[in-house]
Amino acid sequence: MNTLQSIVESIWDQVDVVLGWRVGYDPLHPVPTFVRDRKDIASLIWNPLCAPNLSVFLAKFFRTASQRDKKIGILAKGCDSRSLTALIQEGLVDRDRLLIVGLTCPGTVDPDALAAARTQSGPITAVAFANGMVEITSADGVECVPLDRVIERRCQRCRHAHPVLYDVVLHDFEPRPVPKDPFAHVEALENQSLEARKAFWLKELERCLRCYACRNACPLCVCQDHCLAESRTPKWVTQKDTVADKFLFHMIHTLHLAGRCTECGECERACPMKIPVGLLKEKTAQIAMDLWHYESGTDPGARPPLLSYDASVTGI
Amino acid sequence: MRDEALNITNQTEASLRIVGFLCNWCSYGGADTAGVCRFRQPPLLRIVRIPCTGRMDPLFVIKALAQGADGVLVSGCHPKDCHYAVGNLYARRRLEMVGRFLPFIGIDPRRFRFTWVSASEGQRWQQVVTEFSEVIEKLGPNPGLRSHAG
Repeated sequence: MNTLQSIVESIWDQVDVVLGWRVGYDPLHPVPTFVRDRKDIASLIWNPLCAPNLSVFLAKFFRTASQRDKKIGILAKGCDSRSLTALIQEGLVDRDRLLIVGLTCPGTVDPDALAAARTQSGPITAVAFANGMVEITSADGVECVPLDRVIERRCQRCRHAHPVLYDVVLHDFEPRPVPKDPFAHVEALENQSLEARKAFWLKELERCLRCYACRNACPLCVCQDHCLAESRTPKWVTQKDTVADKFLFHMIHTLHLAGRCTECGECERACPMKIPVGLLKEKTAQIAMDLWHYESGTDPGARPPLLSYDASVTGI
Repeated sequence: MRDEALNITNQTEASLRIVGFLCNWCSYGGADTAGVCRFRQPPLLRIVRIPCTGRMDPLFVIKALAQGADGVLVSGCHPKDCHYAVGNLYARRRLEMVGRFLPFIGIDPRRFRFTWVSASEGQRWQQVVTEFSEVIEKLGPNPGLRSHAG
């Protein structure tokens, strides 16, 4: 049987580095890690707590990395593989220099939901996943929480739990079933009146700190040092902390991702204020689907709809 | 006489505003043609001349509406007539996207319109502006986010 370690061992000769996750300050909090030394392979982990989308590091990697023969290994869940595909589509990442270890994903854990579902609070020593349960061992003993109860919003609407692009795939977990209506959250907001929607966004975005965590966690936000939000000429947003400025920043983020967003939900997961900023991007993804039948990050050869045109269309 | 003049000034101050982004090569010429032909037009429109509708950043639309413009009108060359060959073909995808996105953030999509008017279509320009102005007049002022801008 394949384990994560055996797969990484088997590809080790072809790669310079492997991007993966390791245990952070406790087993509930894995962090991204770059494995460059063979002996560190043992530290790699994969479980539903490994939420960060590692493809966010790649665009930067490819700009700075010296041209070498060896590849970059990366672990990718379904959503991460869509982000990778989108980066490849746009020429920001070279497919030939990637070695993708696909991971079938049961959904990732929402830390807040898990904290709410737990009854114990002692320091955690181990976490295990079996039969759809999260088994947490702490100083107070062992407790089990059903995985379905603590799944992230982004995962509840995931349509690609099985990676779309990979060189090798690891079947440690059953992929999450495809939900009936992935845009249910968007539609719930759309069923409200225009005024209610505006009030909703003003209320939610009021909390925004403009920490730009959503932007920095986004694998497709690649303007980097040239972000409009921080440019002085033209000056789009001021330094004021008014909701109008926050609103405009989120419009910049959303519209730059229109037709490109792969709905990985990292923006929302990274938000320290729990603002549902993912909804904005889900709406643009839905529009792209309606208008051009385009689902981003599923076909490495496709061209994003807003980077192309169709001259044969008439009537608009 | 003086009162009348003041009245007119006040009226224009208080009246509704449409921001029009017009392509340099077609619609700006079309608007000029309408003026030269002395076609009557409602006074709501303020024109921003852009080199091509391909220059239209969808953010222009959102920023104008958030700052309290009562309407945004984008007009360029008819598809396949673009001075730069394909600028308006890119533009119409972006504008279609932003038009459908507006209601999601609580902005009335009727306040935004994009259309194609060539330099010779003065008559058509008059019609476009008149129709859109009527829509905006019916909708009334757009509060935008001005009251939240500090």
